Amino acid sequence: MVADRLADIFALMAQYEREHPQSATLCAVAAELTELSGAGISLSSSGDEMTKLCTSNRVAENLMDLEITVGEGPGSEASRSGEANDEVDLMAPEISRWMAYSPEAVVAGARAVFGFPVRIGAVRFGALSLFRDSPGPLSETQSSDAYLMASVIGRAVLAMQAGAPSGSLLGELQGQSTFDFSVHQAAGMLSVQGSLSMKDALVALRAHAFAVKITSAALAQQMISRRVAFDPESGTWQEMGTRDGN
Amino acid sequence: MARESLLIATLVELADNLVDHYDVIDVLTVLSDRCVEAMDVDAAGVMLSSPGGELQFVASSSESMRVLELFQIQADEGPCIDCFRCGLPIVNQSLSEADGRWPRFTPLALAQGFRSVHSLPLRLRGRTIGALNLFRTTQGPMEDDDVLVAQGLADVATIAILQHQSALDAHTLNEQLSGALNSRIVIEQAKGIISQATNCDMDEAFGRLRAHARNHNDGLTNVALALVEGNLIPGDLDQPKATRPR
Repeated sequence: MVADRLADIFALMAQYEREHPQSATLCAVAAELTELSGAGISLSSSGDEMTKLCTSNRVAENLMDLEITVGEGPGSEASRSGEANDEVDLMAPEISRWMAYSPEAVVAGARAVFGFPVRIGAVRFGALSLFRDSPGPLSETQSSDAYLMASVIGRAVLAMQAGAPSGSLLGELQGQSTFDFSVHQAAGMLSVQGSLSMKDALVALRAHAFAVKITSAALAQQMISRRVAFDPESGTWQEMGTRDGN
Repeated sequence: MARESLLIATLVELADNLVDHYDVIDVLTVLSDRCVEAMDVDAAGVMLSSPGGELQFVASSSESMRVLELFQIQADEGPCIDCFRCGLPIVNQSLSEADGRWPRFTPLALAQGFRSVHSLPLRLRGRTIGALNLFRTTQGPMEDDDVLVAQGLADVATIAILQHQSALDAHTLNEQLSGALNSRIVIEQAKGIISQATNCDMDEAFGRLRAHARNHNDGLTNVALALVEGNLIPGDLDQPKATRPR
């Protein structure tokens, strides 16, 4: 059951957080949850630029560096397309692609690779790359777990980019729900108010909620009911209907 | 129109929509509308499971914030999630304040005038992927015929989500579900954009989005995406009065 699987993720995160810096936790948990050989999380900024957020072991790190260097591979592909992909046997690929990546990935120790986009709607944060040192597809459970993990990573990255205080990440994730329609509506409103991309609007919304110590959902409700808005001229958040916004 | 004629017309319309590339959110919204028209129900909506198993709202006969909130709550508690977990219809549930089953959902539903709820599972080869939720303002059981019709429409919804994927492996289904959920997020963000830019409420914003999509023979999600990515500005949306009645 979901709630159980999410609870498993959070339990693993709590366990790892004691020993690792925040971002490394996500990779370690992804690898352990899916029972694969390793995991890496990459972030994409505008365009096709990939940067490494974390990797769960040396092989995963080498694979990630390879992807970033050649611009090919499961994470790179997932990032660009917004869809999941896989190559269940790099030595006998089903699709002819990744000429620069595949042979090197095998040398590095991967035999099967899987990429999952880390996204919230159309906003793409990056990708989760997973590998196994033996060929074969993911099981149904592994597939579901990977998607769930990618969704948790998305929320985590959003929180991190919005300036979540270190050590608060787990509490932050446990408190949110995956989809709150009001938060997305408010992000849309903010993108217009502040002339921001949707990604920047989502981050700014989260950041302001942190700053005023309320949930994103609560801030969203205030925005939707037109009690609070972002004023681009002053660059500040204002309460509507007051003469001087605070 | 007699109920049978309306149902046949609905099935034809849906079948017609399922041939080419179509928008899942569009189809499920039409389905929800038809539930309200064809059966003695006052509101209808569809919730889908994420690949990780969390329930999320994707379509409804009403875009009013209050109805959306009812679906929001049902991610954690309510007839939808009960139906989803057991995979069986949950019908003729009278709502009463004395009922402690759904302590957050029930009072909110009652406050909106709903007196009974019904939830039909969206099932695919033994796996429940979501639920069709029906709300009535009257008490008393649904007609047996209506329950059959409702399950039939739920089955159509399930087929629609597959998007004519003939090979249904878990990974493909996960990708379809993920796509539908992400589409809904994009639509909510687009509603926010429209609401802010044209100073209308979220309900109207959805109406404008839908009208524009229909006038231009485009999918709801495509138009929403264009708005979110800045390829379409709210000012270019068709004026509501220009909508051709369907």
